[in-house]
Amino acid sequence: MARVVKTKTEFEGNFFEQYIVIEGDELTPWAADEKLEKVGKCTPRVDGSERVTGDAKYTYDIQLAGMLYGRILRSPYPHARIKSLDTRAAEKLHGVRAVLTHKNIPQIPLRMGQHFLLEPTLRYAGDEVAFIVADDEEIAEDALELIEVDYQELPFVIDPEEASQPSSPQIHLNGNVLNGKPEEYERGDAEKALREADVTIEARFTTQVALHNSLETHGSVCAWEGDSLTVWDSTQHIYGVRAGVAQALGLPLNKVRVIKKYMGGGFGSKNGAGKYTLLAALAAKKVGRPVHMMLTRKEENLAAGNRNNTIQYLRLGAKRDGTLTAIYLRSYAGLGAYSLWGTSPGGPARQLYACPNVKTIQYSVFTNTGPMAAFRAPGYVEGTFSFEQAIDMLAQKLHMDPLELRLKNYIDTNPMSGMPYSTKGLREAYERGAKLIGWRERKSKKITQGTQRRGFGMASQIWGGSGGPPAYALCKLNNDGSATIITGTQDIGTGTKTVLAQIAAEELGFPIERVSVELGDTQDGVYSPLSAGSMTLPSVGPAVRVAAHDAKEQLLSIAAQVLEKPKDQIKLKDGLLHVQGLEKPVELKEVLAMKLQNFMIIGKGARGPNPEKYSVNTFGAQFADVTVDTETGEVLINKIVAVHESGRVINPLTIGSQIEGGVIQGLGFALTEERVLDRHTGLVLNPNLEEYKVPTALDVPEIEHEMIDRADPYANNLGAKGVGEPPIIPTAAAIANAISDAIGVHVTDGPITPDKILKALNKTQIGGNHA
Amino acid sequence: MAKATKTKRASVTVRGPHKMPVHLFVNRQDYELHVEPRRTLLDALRKDLGLTGAKKVCDEGTCGACTVIVDGKPVYSCLTLAIECEEKSIETIEALAQDGKLHALQQAFIEEDAYQCGFCTPGQIMSLKALLDENPNPTLDDVKRAVSGNLCRCGAYPKIFRAGLRAAEILRSKKGA
Amino acid sequence: MRNFEHITPPDLESAVDLLSERGTKSIAGGTDLLPEMKSRLRSPRRLVNLKALEELRYLKHNARKGFQIGALTTLAEIESNELIREKIPILAQAASVAASPQLRNMGTIGGNLCQSVRCWYYRAPEFKCWLKGGDTCYAIEGENKFHAILESSPCCAVHPSDLAPALMALGASVHITGTDEEGTVSLEEFFVRPKASNRQMTILGANELITEVQVPMLDGDSSGIYLKAMDRKVWAFALVSVAVQVSWDKERVKGARIVLGGVAPIPWRVPAAEEIVRDQAITEEIATSASEAALEGAQPLRDNGYKIALAKALVKRALMTLAERAKK
Repeated sequence: MARVVKTKTEFEGNFFEQYIVIEGDELTPWAADEKLEKVGKCTPRVDGSERVTGDAKYTYDIQLAGMLYGRILRSPYPHARIKSLDTRAAEKLHGVRAVLTHKNIPQIPLRMGQHFLLEPTLRYAGDEVAFIVADDEEIAEDALELIEVDYQELPFVIDPEEASQPSSPQIHLNGNVLNGKPEEYERGDAEKALREADVTIEARFTTQVALHNSLETHGSVCAWEGDSLTVWDSTQHIYGVRAGVAQALGLPLNKVRVIKKYMGGGFGSKNGAGKYTLLAALAAKKVGRPVHMMLTRKEENLAAGNRNNTIQYLRLGAKRDGTLTAIYLRSYAGLGAYSLWGTSPGGPARQLYACPNVKTIQYSVFTNTGPMAAFRAPGYVEGTFSFEQAIDMLAQKLHMDPLELRLKNYIDTNPMSGMPYSTKGLREAYERGAKLIGWRERKSKKITQGTQRRGFGMASQIWGGSGGPPAYALCKLNNDGSATIITGTQDIGTGTKTVLAQIAAEELGFPIERVSVELGDTQDGVYSPLSAGSMTLPSVGPAVRVAAHDAKEQLLSIAAQVLEKPKDQIKLKDGLLHVQGLEKPVELKEVLAMKLQNFMIIGKGARGPNPEKYSVNTFGAQFADVTVDTETGEVLINKIVAVHESGRVINPLTIGSQIEGGVIQGLGFALTEERVLDRHTGLVLNPNLEEYKVPTALDVPEIEHEMIDRADPYANNLGAKGVGEPPIIPTAAAIANAISDAIGVHVTDGPITPDKILKALNKTQIGGNHA
Repeated sequence: MAKATKTKRASVTVRGPHKMPVHLFVNRQDYELHVEPRRTLLDALRKDLGLTGAKKVCDEGTCGACTVIVDGKPVYSCLTLAIECEEKSIETIEALAQDGKLHALQQAFIEEDAYQCGFCTPGQIMSLKALLDENPNPTLDDVKRAVSGNLCRCGAYPKIFRAGLRAAEILRSKKGA
Repeated sequence: MRNFEHITPPDLESAVDLLSERGTKSIAGGTDLLPEMKSRLRSPRRLVNLKALEELRYLKHNARKGFQIGALTTLAEIESNELIREKIPILAQAASVAASPQLRNMGTIGGNLCQSVRCWYYRAPEFKCWLKGGDTCYAIEGENKFHAILESSPCCAVHPSDLAPALMALGASVHITGTDEEGTVSLEEFFVRPKASNRQMTILGANELITEVQVPMLDGDSSGIYLKAMDRKVWAFALVSVAVQVSWDKERVKGARIVLGGVAPIPWRVPAAEEIVRDQAITEEIATSASEAALEGAQPLRDNGYKIALAKALVKRALMTLAERAKK
């Protein structure tokens, strides 16, 4: 019986109340000391062999008979209007099958009408102008050169703080500030508290635009069969792509099938249908052939999203004993040309510590640059970089140990809602981390001779990660005693398939080899949310458990009838029926196949609501040990320690991969990664993997990590929370604090490159004529 | 500079610009393709031979996902013209498992969880394959350097290092056995 | 990339002959040319494939002539060659920190010396910069963190090669073969500052090829070092690099060649610094004044002032390291 319930969900730092439909009964969470056989055990990926043999088919790899290739012409100006456009020469080129422009396709509104699929106004360098499909990519690229466009250049603005001024060039009719005003939060009276504080600090921080650079670029392959469209899409949200495509093209949902089996990274940027998807679908319809449209690396870095830059003005006030009394943050984030939402760089400031007086004013501002997209803990990475450095500045001023200052302001209830946390393992994370890095002995390890300086730093992490409904799952028991779990979620590389198999195997009492997991197909699957916001496991996992439980109960009922034994005398273990009074366990196929022939059991499951009286969050602490060369400005990271609490650990093997991966992305953000714009033309100068420097194998230090493995009694029936985003959140701040510990100066602008370190050390000559 | 004595030019064959036959020897198999001179080895493998294990990520020699082994050396197939690979021996990820049995590297990657999204994995494995073919006793540093031309955006590096060392161990123990 | 004709010439002579035709480019490793073709910065009508010219693939050494390295020798071959590692380790060091293992398997020494600059304005097809025949250097007033601090006009791109400074410090020459002429020039002559009539960083004509790199025998007791500062640990072009080769008379410097990379449009030899260390035992003071002299005249742009401090640090560090080793 379906039920409608109200629940609270959190996504990327924002909270939503919503009604959801759930079905089936909620299960009691596994107890903390429950003896589990599959869950909590290191389990190699169930699809490992596909990944290592090249058999795994990603969207990029889809090849269909008669398939054509698409390429997009993009604006070379940050703000312009197309005066005229001539595609005749391109159309005539041998092998070109279609050219789409705003003149020959329907006006399809995107982002609630903020812009259109193709339109004459272009709001960033990289905005879509025209689309070509041809027999091969090179031909399409030849054709791009033949399209003649006459652009009228318009004034543009690229700096978010500048763009927030009314005198700036306007990008949208309603002005450049999202929703017309900043998002404000206040508790207590921060301004008054600052005036009254014993000690205050004040600093301006900036964080750079970071590019996801998912190795598989964004893209889709679209094929029509009659009026049904199949889309292979490199996405974190197949149902989101389905909804977007159906709405844009006016199709019923059941006529759009979206498939994503393997995906080469997304990190938050692949949460919906792209212009490339819609253009490929329109063109495929027009020419009657499948169209393959994957972005190039350059396009990926111009148009597929980014972690927005921020400018943050932060003031803290405290009593002499270290009690935080005031936090005041004003921030500007550059959305780029299009967005319906802004991030919360103020999240950590509002939540990390017990502070009665907090004010955050967050401006999200349109600029004539590539649109932002969620990037692994959007807002919180930027906000933690500044806020946790400010906490260290305060510690310095108070002559307090940075860890002691953090412990002094520790809080067990959510300071925004007043609700207790369902679990909060941050104190243990601090303790374990401090021990692993040698925090209390660090002063003896400092190097102060020669040109090398060693330093230690730390930072804390808070994030959501509760997940929530709606999410559904089915569990099919086949008559040979194998099980198929069906969901509509996606494994974006985190190991979702494997943990779902563990959960199902645990609940069913099956060996994991007898459980397969199907996902990534809207037509075969059942609704699951996007794989973002650290929510896949805590959303879909509990639904899978319910579905498996339902199937198991049905199986036991059937077995009871077939074996003529009371149901409560039958237990499932290792895929066998253990029946009280029988010496040998009974094989499942004896019950199912032999007695009932082609019978199939279908178990159903839904994710239940989130707890009403608890705040479900994830926590962690990271510590960095660095050596800085004061003559060259080079930073060597000796070690990072990461200790996190995300509830129960389902798979220690894959959770370790997540932690290491987050830390490594975090250190790229800290030290090397930065999109560079030419200030005079608004063009991106490094839309490539040569000048946009992601960490290489040799940039990776020793990373020691531990989980505070604690079943969350309230979060959901697994006791597990998300972990995808938490490990990237504190890394850059911990490194920044360690650098400051080493050289005695805080570098407040990210990324912390050698030139900034040398500048901080006053070793840089300032350029004369060109300042 | 001194004058060079000029001799008569030997006759040369101009190929292209249109499609022409190109012979490739891939994974111990002979193939004849019809491609333009601008066809890269990567596109030839992926589009003409359907070997999609090598990935196109940057298409300009800055990521390593397209790494294949040509005459025993790992190279970027995106910066290699198919037409210039005739008479060379090309090895891709698809040839590693033999008779349904995974190569030690593949086995080690699974056991160590040396991937996340898996998009860089074929390239990483081919770089390590070239290393282990040449050096059965690599140090950690050898392993790191061997994959220093293969970016992994998910950050699986620590486990890739472990998998490289573990595979070497597996191979040594097989040889010893 | 646009399509092209492809020719594999049977010998060197035919190769240079073919290069005389307009729109023809030679390809060896392809690691520099193909990305330029893919971004359509260059669209040659015809490629002449040098890879099959076995006559250019050799590495010879003898006591009289030193090293003779065929132009097609790959960076990986240089990096791992035992004789190079023993006799001129500075070159092996420079090769080993260039690019990535795969690129070192592909890229050749000839191509490395002829490579284009990495300036992002040059690489972006959207900018018709001075070096590409336009009339503006966009970097001078634009984003110039990675650009030149010396000779930054009319083009402030820096020379990206790791091998070039090392080879110049070794006193190397290149043998050039053209249609009408051939001959050997020192690297100091080979690299030239770009000018309006020759918008490139070498004297190489369109129909000429480097066929051999020659490294003379080093004077008795000699040692060298190549230091490279990068903004990530590997696979990046140098922010600044320095190559120093010193010949010793016990602990005194008989002669030194000091060359900087990443600071000027060409590898930048600094005779003033060499002069300071000549006939001296290197002390911290001497090394410091040599490093000051090396950067004499450097003029930072808005964002690259750090390079002066960085270059000085590397020069000093290189000299001090060599002096330490000489004591042992």
